[in-house]
Amino acid sequence: MDLENTKAQMRKGILEYCILSILSRNSCYASDIIKELKEAKVIVVEGTLYPLLTRQKNSGLLSYRWEESQQGPPRKYYELTPDGRDYLKDLDNSWDELVESVNLIRKK
Amino acid sequence: MDKTIKINLAGTLFNIEEDAYYMLRDYLQAINNRFHNIQGGNETIEDIESRISEIFQSQKITAGVISKPDVEAMIKILGKPEDFEVPGNQSNTVFTGPIKRRLYRNPDDSVFSGVCGGIGAYLNSDPVWIRIAFIIFSLFFGIGFFVYLALWIAIPNARSEYQKRELYGENYHRLNAAGIGTNISGGPGGAINEIFGAIGKFFYIVFRIIMIFFGVTFVALGFSALLVVFLAFFFKNPEFISMGSMNSNLFFMHDFLNFIVDPSISMWIIVLSFIALLLPLCAFVYWGIKMIFWFRVRDGVISLVLFITWVASLIALTVILVNAGVSFSKYGESTSQEILQNKRDTLFIMTGRKVEDLHTKKEFKIPENQYSMFISDPESRLCIRPRLRLSVTDEKTIKIEIRKKSMAVSRIDAVKKAESLIYDYRISRDTLYLDEYFTLSEGRKWSAEMIEVGLYIPEKTTLYFDNTCENLFPDRIRLNRVDKNMEYMSDIDNDTQPWQIGGRYWILSREGLVKASLLTEGKSTK
Repeated sequence: MDLENTKAQMRKGILEYCILSILSRNSCYASDIIKELKEAKVIVVEGTLYPLLTRQKNSGLLSYRWEESQQGPPRKYYELTPDGRDYLKDLDNSWDELVESVNLIRKK
Repeated sequence: MDKTIKINLAGTLFNIEEDAYYMLRDYLQAINNRFHNIQGGNETIEDIESRISEIFQSQKITAGVISKPDVEAMIKILGKPEDFEVPGNQSNTVFTGPIKRRLYRNPDDSVFSGVCGGIGAYLNSDPVWIRIAFIIFSLFFGIGFFVYLALWIAIPNARSEYQKRELYGENYHRLNAAGIGTNISGGPGGAINEIFGAIGKFFYIVFRIIMIFFGVTFVALGFSALLVVFLAFFFKNPEFISMGSMNSNLFFMHDFLNFIVDPSISMWIIVLSFIALLLPLCAFVYWGIKMIFWFRVRDGVISLVLFITWVASLIALTVILVNAGVSFSKYGESTSQEILQNKRDTLFIMTGRKVEDLHTKKEFKIPENQYSMFISDPESRLCIRPRLRLSVTDEKTIKIEIRKKSMAVSRIDAVKKAESLIYDYRISRDTLYLDEYFTLSEGRKWSAEMIEVGLYIPEKTTLYFDNTCENLFPDRIRLNRVDKNMEYMSDIDNDTQPWQIGGRYWILSREGLVKASLLTEGKSTK
């Protein structure tokens, strides 16, 4: 087994959840999300984020609006849709359950 | 400096070095291949592109040009497409889309420049056969060699991975698995390829030595020629440099130009001819330097601009000269004759006006035509040496003929110009004074004027030449024979040189000038 590969698989699983959690606080543009994810060491390379954002947007969890920026071209600001909030709530619950399950196993 | 390319990334313009550009293009191509088949892929690609643009903007980019390290840093941040951890997407193939095959020189499989390696890779065959084919064709009048040179110039080198993929096509993956740079052919070509490699190295060294030799020669020649051109155009004193090997013609070009064309355009001619000489010489030196140090510079645009400037200055120069030079189109001459009432059998020949008395250094010589001009110093007039010819006749009298020649737009003008040439000779008893030069009349321009002075002298006449007379024969003594009607019969060969004739008596015969014996000499001088 490749350790790096396993770690990557684990990160992949929670990445979508993390993105939605960040956006639940306030609307962000991609670089803000990246910053948080990097601080939390959830992603290694930035490129991972973009296809995920697109996919979540296409499944109706996210929407975005264009906002002018001082430097450079306008930016995409992402925010959660009502569907997204419901989806996040479900994920919150399942994350808690998951942590509990893992802890239960680890502390035995 | 490397060529830079302007690119537009998500609405922002960047300058990027060529190497970095290829790297970025490969990267974008990989991202494109990764996402373009996926739903919403194009949007993702756009997002990534704008992020790249953002990263570039945040980087402290030296001199505003994105370099390879900048692109590398950006890729490190964004990650390679195969490193993107996207759930539910197991496909990690990077280059997927079909790719157009293109021919490049192959730097990974090259003996000399990678032409054969490239062709081999392109045709999916062992380059060794291509090499052998080139060598065989080189035996036929060097066809292979020239084709090779042409291909070397025409085919670009495969610099980036993307270009290598275009070159190898399907085989690229096989190549990648084997590791780029290792010999993928193996088989029968292996050993031969090694031999070719060694031969290639050897020829490369020989080639470099030859190139350096030529380069040094180019630089040395170009540089000394440049020096001469600069000296000629900016320092008008020929004594400034040693005169041993150099012709003084160049130094007074400007002075003489004023006698050929209108002074208002002579400046143009000088400037244009300066450019016309300077540019190729600079190019010469530059090529030499390039050959010595063997570097590659993106100098295409500037070379083209300079080449166009050079051609334009040559055209302008030609137009100006042709405009001014119409006066050379028709030839005209004017002849006058006079019989010398000389009863004696001795003729004394002396010089009248002398070039020496002009005290001028401004001399312009065209050695092939034995043509030489001077500019007299205070009054600045153009003085030209005439040509003297001695003819042996069957007549009893001595005759002098002045044949003036000129050129102009029309024959009539040419004749008029010829008539206006000022040349003096004087007869005093038995002495003939001949001027060493003739001049143009006031306000006339030079157009290859010449005066032929013909002396028709009966056979056996004794001639005495003054010490300065050698100046009347600048190159050799022209001697010929004419018949009763003064028609030309034949040249007479004579070994006497101009510098030998001064201060002596000579007898003119059909065989040439013969030194008068001491006895005759004594008798004649009395």
